[in-house]
Amino acid sequence: MIDCKSASESLSAWLDGELRGSEAEAVGAHLDVCRQCAEQRRQMESLQAALKSALELQASSLRFEPFWRQVQERITEKRTWSAAMMDFMHSALAAPRLAWAIPVVIVALLGALSIVPAWRASRNSFASVESIDPYGRNVAVLRENETKTTVIWLYQNPEGENEPSSEAADSSSPSF
Amino acid sequence: MDRLRVELSDRDLVQRCQAGQIEAFQDLVSRYHQKVYMVILGMVHNREDALEIAQETFFRAYRRINSFQGESSFYTWLYRIAVNIAIDLQRRQKRNPLDFREDMDSIVEEQGGVGRDPFSDAHDRELREKLVAAINELTPEHKAVIVLRTIEGLSYKDIGEILGCSEGTVMSRLHYARRKLQAKLRAFL
Repeated sequence: MIDCKSASESLSAWLDGELRGSEAEAVGAHLDVCRQCAEQRRQMESLQAALKSALELQASSLRFEPFWRQVQERITEKRTWSAAMMDFMHSALAAPRLAWAIPVVIVALLGALSIVPAWRASRNSFASVESIDPYGRNVAVLRENETKTTVIWLYQNPEGENEPSSEAADSSSPSF
Repeated sequence: MDRLRVELSDRDLVQRCQAGQIEAFQDLVSRYHQKVYMVILGMVHNREDALEIAQETFFRAYRRINSFQGESSFYTWLYRIAVNIAIDLQRRQKRNPLDFREDMDSIVEEQGGVGRDPFSDAHDRELREKLVAAINELTPEHKAVIVLRTIEGLSYKDIGEILGCSEGTVMSRLHYARRKLQAKLRAFL
């Protein structure tokens, strides 16, 4: 025999017929002998009946014809493209149809992974040497397009170190 | 000679609807509009909102009828749409509980006949007011389980499918909701 606490906890499911076998029999047997729990059962059934009556009363005032007309108007009215898109997405992403989406996502990810490094490489090649000094050895201008940076190198040409040229002497140290 | 009207199953009507027959959908609406309305009304407690949600439910059901594959029953699928809209509305729009009381009073007056009102005497009227106030204190999920069980007598399995939760969760929510309502209304039951 179960105690009042166990019977009370199972009472709701017992009333709904959701208990099976020995569990249901145990609650039933307890209700037969326990007046307190039997009263709980009566109150619960009374509560259920009161709620059902209240809702049925209200629903009985609903007429089908005007209700259907309103639904039909919504169905036939011209719809925005965003609403149509939402319906399509909802339909396409319904659980049984998700099977196709998995390989598509995988292929898309693989494609993105292969494209991104190539794209980055192409972006980096946008840096270029645009001009060299008239002698072709002491000045280099690098323009880097992505960050809009220009770098000018002035350097001493190792091959010209021994030449007694004034230009080579003036540019003996790098300046920016 | 009158033609014998054959009562088609929900599945047959859904298939005809998927083939483009709006008359089949009309039959489905006729079959379920009051029950859907009742479920929503039990959750939102406002007639205008309930009517709006009920119509939106059938509209969405029609638009998505091709996504219905028949794994669950049609009414389970339909209630799922309705309950989701109602829960969403309740989360966004916290209405004054008094709305429902005023609503209920006006409905009873409209109905007129004393015999049609199960809450016709003072005791029942008080019970109704307390019941409404107590239900309004429940969360949308608790309201949903108690309304689905009360109106349709749906199994815990079906309620779980509608709400996207386990049978155990349905059982515990129902137990909690009933105990809470019972505690609030003990003097009237």
